[in-house]
Amino acid sequence: MIRAWLAHLAAVVVIAAACVQPGASPAGEGQPTAAAGVFPKEVAIGAVYPLTGALAPTGVDLKNGIDLAVELINSGRSDIDLPLLKDGGGLRNLGGAKLKVIFADSAGDPAKGQSETERLITSDKVAVMTGAFQSAVTATASQAAERLQVPFVNAESSSPTLVARDFKWFFRSTPDDSMFAENFFQFLDDAAKRFPGQVAKKVVILHTDDLFGSDVNKFVRQFAEKYTYEVVGSVGYKLTAPDLTSEIQRLKASAAPILIEASYLADATLAIRTLKQQDVNFQGVLAMDAGFVDTKFIPNVGKDAEYMLTREVWAKDLGTRKPIVKQVNDLFRSKYGTDMNGSSARAFTGIFVIADAINRARSIDPVKIQEALKQTNIPAPQIVMPWDGIQFDARGQNTKGRGIMVQIQGGEYVTVWPLELASKPLIWPMPEWTKR
Amino acid sequence: MEIVAQTVASGVLLGLILALSAAGLTLIWGVMDIVNFAHGDFLMLGMYASFFAWAVLGLDPLLALPGVVAALGLFGVVVYLGVIRPVLRGSVLAQIFATFGLGILLRGVAQFVFTADYRQIGDTMATGSFAVGPVHLGLPQTIAALGALIVSGLLFALLDRTTVGTALRATAEDRSAAELMGIDTRRMFALAWAVGAGCVGAAAGLLAIYFPIFPDVGAVFGLLAFVTVALGGFGSVGGAMLAGVLIGVVTSVAGLIFDPAYKFTVAYLLYLVVLVIRPQGLLGRA
Amino acid sequence: MPRPGLPVIALVAAALVYPLVFGSPAAINVGVLILLFAALGTAWNLLGGYAGQISFGHAVFFGIGAYTSTVLLKEAGLSPWLGMLAGAALAALAAVLLGVPTFRLAGHYFAIATIVIGEIAHTVVRNLDAIGGARGLFLPILPTSLVNYQFHNSRLPYYGIAFGLYALALAATLMVERRRIGYYLRAIREDPTASRSVGVSVLQYKLAAAALSAALTAICGTFYAQYVLFIDSDSVFPLSLSILIALTAILGGAGRAYGPLLGAGVLVPLSEITRIAFGGTGRGADLVIYGALIVLISVAQPGGIAALGDALRRRLPQPA
Repeated sequence: MIRAWLAHLAAVVVIAAACVQPGASPAGEGQPTAAAGVFPKEVAIGAVYPLTGALAPTGVDLKNGIDLAVELINSGRSDIDLPLLKDGGGLRNLGGAKLKVIFADSAGDPAKGQSETERLITSDKVAVMTGAFQSAVTATASQAAERLQVPFVNAESSSPTLVARDFKWFFRSTPDDSMFAENFFQFLDDAAKRFPGQVAKKVVILHTDDLFGSDVNKFVRQFAEKYTYEVVGSVGYKLTAPDLTSEIQRLKASAAPILIEASYLADATLAIRTLKQQDVNFQGVLAMDAGFVDTKFIPNVGKDAEYMLTREVWAKDLGTRKPIVKQVNDLFRSKYGTDMNGSSARAFTGIFVIADAINRARSIDPVKIQEALKQTNIPAPQIVMPWDGIQFDARGQNTKGRGIMVQIQGGEYVTVWPLELASKPLIWPMPEWTKR
Repeated sequence: MEIVAQTVASGVLLGLILALSAAGLTLIWGVMDIVNFAHGDFLMLGMYASFFAWAVLGLDPLLALPGVVAALGLFGVVVYLGVIRPVLRGSVLAQIFATFGLGILLRGVAQFVFTADYRQIGDTMATGSFAVGPVHLGLPQTIAALGALIVSGLLFALLDRTTVGTALRATAEDRSAAELMGIDTRRMFALAWAVGAGCVGAAAGLLAIYFPIFPDVGAVFGLLAFVTVALGGFGSVGGAMLAGVLIGVVTSVAGLIFDPAYKFTVAYLLYLVVLVIRPQGLLGRA
Repeated sequence: MPRPGLPVIALVAAALVYPLVFGSPAAINVGVLILLFAALGTAWNLLGGYAGQISFGHAVFFGIGAYTSTVLLKEAGLSPWLGMLAGAALAALAAVLLGVPTFRLAGHYFAIATIVIGEIAHTVVRNLDAIGGARGLFLPILPTSLVNYQFHNSRLPYYGIAFGLYALALAATLMVERRRIGYYLRAIREDPTASRSVGVSVLQYKLAAAALSAALTAICGTFYAQYVLFIDSDSVFPLSLSILIALTAILGGAGRAYGPLLGAGVLVPLSEITRIAFGGTGRGADLVIYGALIVLISVAQPGGIAALGDALRRRLPQPA
């Protein structure tokens, strides 16, 4: 009996070993290259995002931003000063070829993000990849692109680890969490100049215990030291907590006058309701985007959201200083019924980075696109972001990005920092709950 | 001291709400020995029912509560007839598989029909808070907790004081003996699903007053409901009440003493310790 | 008992032909996932199907395997193959330690206890900064070689290894089925009281099944880490993974040697195809179809797919 299954096992091992021969034909034989003068009608771009599961609302925002960008590039718009739009539709240097974005669902899972990236590159022959929102998924997806030697342009993942990997095919247009954490203290320093004696140097941190929240905690603590602020406590909580009373009580007990918060939408809503119910007050609540900039945040939280501050990458009122922001947001709103947000604006911008590079490469050959991406230099007026432009360093990180701080005033996000972009003055400190 | 009082009070409120959501689960479990792994998703459906009653019909969630309870009860019967009765002839594993699949289906349908957006019911009759000495209590949570007490009381009365309740309990004790005594056990099963799902509807209607509503919201309460039921003892409504309050208070207090990220871990460890000492749960039958 | 010869030959043939017919990396990836979940389901089956202990916490062992080999690789430069063995040993030990108090629990109490244990492990790993915490662990990228357990040019070697994992789990199952422990386990499952009275040491046999099941699951965890080259608590410790492992075995037919392969052969392609075809819509259509099919299958055939084969066989004329 035992001999019988040992024989089976032996057969199996032989087969397994046969499969393990290294050097089998490489996956993906490279991309079809357009011969001189003959251009493809369509250029395929792959996009992997969390389109189902808990992060699906954000995934849909990102998809909307991309769809609008593709529509604009393919049809052309002479009245909007974005790259490529005055060329009459399509990519001029590729004979007016149209962009086509193929979406895939990561379901928020790093392994699925990786295999979907591989599938888009090998089966759908996409020329460039973009995605994947969550840093953990972006990490594995860009690893697949690196292996298959196709450029991966990331427009919205903010974990600093992503560009520390020395990848050759990875480019990131958004600033990262360490820069954003530093922004908090630069903002507080500027606020202290304007409201002398009213901005304390003590903060407490409330954060989710996942990658996002613990990164924020780490970098806020790091920069607090540099800017000589005292962190009197860090309160981490589980994302699916049905009640946050003990967390809020800890914040209260810390007696810190300033709260820095990293939360998603449901937990941010719950935290604010609990703060109000238990009458816990701060000089200021500084949030690290996420839930606080979700399109549903202000509608769901209502007037209790007033005076909250959040760092942002984008705000509608940037349009008062940058006309293209208003033009694009109006188009977005007429198409989807909501304003753009930081996610959709960044994904929108990412597609322009990709299209601009392909156009300059005059080819869909990945090596040429990679070369063109390295040469990217989009000036500040031609993007809908508050950045100084887009230019990648050797790690693939955009060096010209920066964050802004917005405050919720009258049910709108109002840019209050940096001062040269502010559309309204900062309100500080925020009024106590009982005095509203 | 103030902080401890506040934390314990909030813990008790949370516990009562957990108990209410668990009461429906424990009833079904006790009567027919089936675990409804789609329990959290039933709760999600109920919350959406409440939301749309508010958003479309302009009904305050408190006024919509009876409607939500009835709708969920009806849904429970439909699920019993369509999914549960056919798998009764299969093994326990088949029943688990069916209810898990149902949960995935409901979540998918919710995302498809309602989109993945987070919804929130705005100001209602129950919005606000009040203070008892130094302790602040949220009005919605307090009303939800009182509702939990009332619904559980009604459930007790139904099981203990009515003939239908007696028949339900007889079915739970010994199915074949109940059949010999002329009880239509299939009808009792359908009734258990109606009442059980109705209780979930009550919990959902009360939670919807203050909690965000989204397709995956069941995951927030589902697992805690299972633990509450198991800690209290399957089939024991009183056990679920006791266990709910215990879990509510333990998690809240643990959040003060330890890193709050571990507050549920402490409650789960408590559950494991209780099970090792008393494998049938606090008030379960041996 | 069915003759082992024919299914094994058919299996080997099918596994060999698959990459020849479906050569694209996406198809190979589906093949790898089928074999991986077949292996996981088969490992689960040892405890859940044969010993009747329904576990919704097997991700704990998967995670122990993934983290043990990865931490040893990163911190000590130990080959993942040796790390794999260490992970398997650690998982077996964990299974025994967890089994002693929990195997006394009846039916659903045990199932809920396993969910709770899984949640505790998930939370602890996510908050333990010494092993990466919520940030997870990136595996160092090493040159393609069998010794390094990394292959960058093709996914075919991973397919081969996944096949080996399944073969190992199946061999363990067939061995258990044919030896005394298999009979005892089934006896315990059918009637624990009676088997105790005839002198079967219930706990001892269950613990043996649990240790074997956990060790095999941990080996799959190491494979996952080497395949994806990034692990975090949410990808190797979640409840959803535990449930998927159990569903794979249950769908195919718990307590049957080839059941989990059938289950994985249906569930994995179903999930991949629905996600690829409908996931891009962002509306959850893939979940609707996936969930609806699970409900339909369970309502139509509560005994699992393997039972469907039995039903067909009964209809055929029996040989004299």
